[in-house]
Amino acid sequence: MALDEHAIPTFPTHQEVAQDVLERYRVVDQRYWRWVSVLTLLFVAGIVGFILRLNDGFGDEARSNWGYLVATLSFLLSTFLAMPILSAGLRLAKANWRRPFTRINENMAITGLLIYLMLIPALLALPDTEGRLSIWFEFPHWMAFKGANLMVWGTLVLIGLSLLWLVALPDLAAVRDHVPNSRRARVTRFLSLGWTGSLRQWRVLHSGALLFGAFFLLLYPTTQTLMQSDFQAGLLPGIKDAIAPATAIINALQGAVALTLVVMYVMRRFGGYERYFGIDQFWSLSKPLLAFSLLWFYFWWASFITFWYGRQPGESELLKLLILDSYRNPLMISFFLNFIGPLVALVWNPVRKSIWGPTLVASGILVGGLINHIRWYVSAFSVTDPGQHVLSPIPPGQLPTASDALIVVGGISGCILLFMLISKLIPVISIWEVGEGLHLVKVRKFFGRYVVVIAKSH
Amino acid sequence: MYYRRTLTEAQINQQLLGTVLTTPLWWVIILSCLAIVLAGAVSAVGFMVNQGLGVTGLRQPVFWGFFITNFVFWVGISHAGVMISAILRLSQAEWRRPMVRAAETMTVFSLMASLVMPLIHAGRPWRIFYWVFPYDWARGIWPDVRSPLVWDPIAITTYLISSMLFVYTALIPDMAIIRDRSTGWRKSVYGALSLGWHGNPRQWKLQGIAGILLSALILPVFVSVHSIVSWDFGVSLVPSWHVTVFAPYFVIGAVHSGVSAVVTLMVVMRKLYKLENFIWEEHIDALARLLIVVATAWMFLFWLDLIFALWLKEEQELTVWQLRMFEPPWSWLFLIFFMSSYVIPVPLWMFRRVRRSFTMMLWTSLLVNVGMFLERFIIIVPALMRKGPMTFDFATYRPSPIEITIIGGTIALVASFLLVFSKFFPLIPLWEEKEGQLLIDSVRVGNVDVPALVKEH
Amino acid sequence: MATQTKAQTATSRDIPFKWSMVIDLDRCTGCEACVVACQAENNVPINLQSAYEQGRVLEWIRLERYWEGEFPNIKARFIPVLCQHCENAPCEPVCPVYATYHNNEGLNVQVYNRCVGTRYCGNNCPYHARSFNYWEPVWPEDLRHQLNPDVTVRSRGVMEKCSMCVQRIRRATRSKTPSQVPDGAFDPACAQACPTSAMTFGNVADPESRVSKLRNDERRFRVFEALGTDPSVVYLKQVDTNGA
Repeated sequence: MALDEHAIPTFPTHQEVAQDVLERYRVVDQRYWRWVSVLTLLFVAGIVGFILRLNDGFGDEARSNWGYLVATLSFLLSTFLAMPILSAGLRLAKANWRRPFTRINENMAITGLLIYLMLIPALLALPDTEGRLSIWFEFPHWMAFKGANLMVWGTLVLIGLSLLWLVALPDLAAVRDHVPNSRRARVTRFLSLGWTGSLRQWRVLHSGALLFGAFFLLLYPTTQTLMQSDFQAGLLPGIKDAIAPATAIINALQGAVALTLVVMYVMRRFGGYERYFGIDQFWSLSKPLLAFSLLWFYFWWASFITFWYGRQPGESELLKLLILDSYRNPLMISFFLNFIGPLVALVWNPVRKSIWGPTLVASGILVGGLINHIRWYVSAFSVTDPGQHVLSPIPPGQLPTASDALIVVGGISGCILLFMLISKLIPVISIWEVGEGLHLVKVRKFFGRYVVVIAKSH
Repeated sequence: MYYRRTLTEAQINQQLLGTVLTTPLWWVIILSCLAIVLAGAVSAVGFMVNQGLGVTGLRQPVFWGFFITNFVFWVGISHAGVMISAILRLSQAEWRRPMVRAAETMTVFSLMASLVMPLIHAGRPWRIFYWVFPYDWARGIWPDVRSPLVWDPIAITTYLISSMLFVYTALIPDMAIIRDRSTGWRKSVYGALSLGWHGNPRQWKLQGIAGILLSALILPVFVSVHSIVSWDFGVSLVPSWHVTVFAPYFVIGAVHSGVSAVVTLMVVMRKLYKLENFIWEEHIDALARLLIVVATAWMFLFWLDLIFALWLKEEQELTVWQLRMFEPPWSWLFLIFFMSSYVIPVPLWMFRRVRRSFTMMLWTSLLVNVGMFLERFIIIVPALMRKGPMTFDFATYRPSPIEITIIGGTIALVASFLLVFSKFFPLIPLWEEKEGQLLIDSVRVGNVDVPALVKEH
Repeated sequence: MATQTKAQTATSRDIPFKWSMVIDLDRCTGCEACVVACQAENNVPINLQSAYEQGRVLEWIRLERYWEGEFPNIKARFIPVLCQHCENAPCEPVCPVYATYHNNEGLNVQVYNRCVGTRYCGNNCPYHARSFNYWEPVWPEDLRHQLNPDVTVRSRGVMEKCSMCVQRIRRATRSKTPSQVPDGAFDPACAQACPTSAMTFGNVADPESRVSKLRNDERRFRVFEALGTDPSVVYLKQVDTNGA
């Protein structure tokens, strides 16, 4: 649905879209399998790195070994598993331009499976709540942070998957009906739960999508709060940073928008999806990208100014660890990639209203985001005694070892791999949503120009 | 949604300009009552400046009380303007149209009310000029930019000037309409103010660009103003104030408070000015849904504040929170605040019938602002009452009648300024209403005509 | 005399003034002579009963009294609290008009003429050392002759606090180098009035001064050390003897 201001806007019909998407679904490119193999190799390398780390166990002395795994876990939570937020939120806000890429966001919910698996060693690496800061106060650790985390994260992943499954039903039914005689058709027959497209079923679908979306939107901040307070703040002596979960959420929103842009670009470039991911999508997403980049700075500054101004001994030590000394370089890189770069680039209209502009900025944001998460979690895990009153000595910056690098690469590759695999099963463009959008638009002349009229239905 | 084309341009002109061209009796009566309250407040201020701050309830160690609460409260209400006019304009929400001017004007006047508070709460208000004015008057000393109290006036004045610019540029087309319908001195004054507006395409294009630019540029100001006010508390060492989350917590609280105030304003305006043709159930419905999201985000940040306040198990923080939540009368205030800001309004707003009822929305929005005023009070005063472990210095604070009068005076100030404003300028932008009607269309889907919008790009 | 010679020879190098105080709580009896002396020396407004009822007492040094224990083993603990003249004073950066700042002699000074009375410094002081003039101070006719001409008489709307009797410091050190001001040559009013010599004042930059030596006593502590304000006033803990 590319919008070109110099010509009469044209749109395909719902039928054309359905045929196109199903055709792409049926025929699978060789390049696809090449990429899958590469990603599988990288993922296996990540597992190797993980096993190497496993050798040293989970004791207190080995805790710093797990910093990079936890950083990867948090990064994946804040990018891949944050994607359904865009689907749920934009659906609530009734934005029409979301329709082509909304299935990408929903398909990413599958990465929750890998992320949940990564949660388990992360939880094992955390020390007991006794003697250190924790939001669980004196609750026994099995019930408290281990149990609660497993429950909350699990529910988040489940809700994400349920949202995906529900919203994909019509498309699964389309595959079942129009792409017969294949292994995938058999699976989709099972998954489509007998969808026939009756009025009642559509009503349930719409309400369910809003409901699951709302639940996801409520659960995600909870999950990020647990991630930040258990895995980061709970290990830093004397830290009282109430904004940290909110910072993580804003960073996750920035990451989700960035990842959506990058995936769309890759699919355009290598998958031939230009007609779906046009200037409208990139331009509309560039505005929240700019907004979240500004907010990145704002949330970081709110924390920094409070700590720095107060000059309290405990907080000054933490500033030295996270900002001024040990992890100053990661912060500078992340500051540039997540704030200065996006700000300087995206204030310009031509950059925002292009394909390459938001994509370039988004790639920088993803790299900067990874570095930022490393800064948060590797620093926390390298603290030797979380039970101190004031952090001493201040651990220096911890560079990744080979296994750490493998784990990071493996985690990211695993998530991309899962996304590619699920997109073989569930069409990666949402046929019914794009179709619905097409029914709601028309073109007409308006004061001498051709404009698009969009219906706003309840 | 708001997609019904019901009025001709002439009808829009006549109904919205009615308040400008005539003076109803209720306007005179209400303004007189407000003037009396204002006079009382002004004399209270005069009395206080003459006698000293002893006439307030302030005492050791509660150095800030009702005045600062009121200051933060009015800055909070001022966030309505940018939310409604800037953010909703940038996100192209059609239902903003009747509210933009009223919200922006309320912003300007509430900022003026808020600026009054730090002036009069100082011990020597006649020396305040040294404070804010960036010039070294004597002995080569400039204001201390390390102090949040210097950041405050910079931020608020910037916000005030940008909001006034916003109101003014949006007023130009409407002032031209009034100019064309008046004679004599009115014609020349409105003529000068409308800067030669004739509604040709070039001028409309400039108007559009100005609107978007101002909306975009005012957004950072909007976020930073209340954050800077929050850092008055955040950078101090007072237990329960030294919290990192105060910046977004205050900003979201301000949006909550401000948008609720807009709801109140809308309902009252509709009743008094007979604007039933312009303010519909859809508008307050949309505002209520926005409020649900904002209020829930605010509640999340409140919980973050509370959890992390307790998590260090610092004795003073625990003492302050214990005072706030469990010791009467503070516990009663806390309960009222919590119920009024969230627990009562938000579940009610989940119901469509409540959202579309003007009476219910009026009462719930008023309740929210009562709660938010109490919220500021509960943040400020109990923290000072239990500031340090020296129990010898524990004290309590009660506002004095002078303080209460002055607070009432600021409410009267904003209300009366709004009333006077409505005498000279229409409270609902005529051109926005007309533009909105132009953009209405419909799309036939199946055998249903779905209301639609021409997409603004 | 021997002390003076020692000071002269030891300080041919330039040492600064860095005023400090050590308060020995073991010697403090809670008599509040320091409070009275300070009020007299520094023109502190007279606190009538109404001031106590309103909670607006103006005291540059106050005596805090805490009860400890159950009858019949109750103990009274006294601590005179005055402005701690913190090196890292939280009251200084928050003043919008530079009415309070740290001078190069280690004192936190208050400039009454610049103070507009926003009272942020009072909020940020963890020791509650600052007082605010809520009313215009009233000096009865006959007491006006008691006012110290070396000290500003403040109007309403101004914050005030202990200045370590900066007027006495100025008088004693005018046109003199630190080596020319012997240790103990002068005292602030509170230290001078204390009957048990619980308060010792001096130049902590001079290693031979009494405050320098007392500061390193094993009973030493500073109030609210964990806040990182780095106070210049050091307290010495009271020693409890059994049954006392």
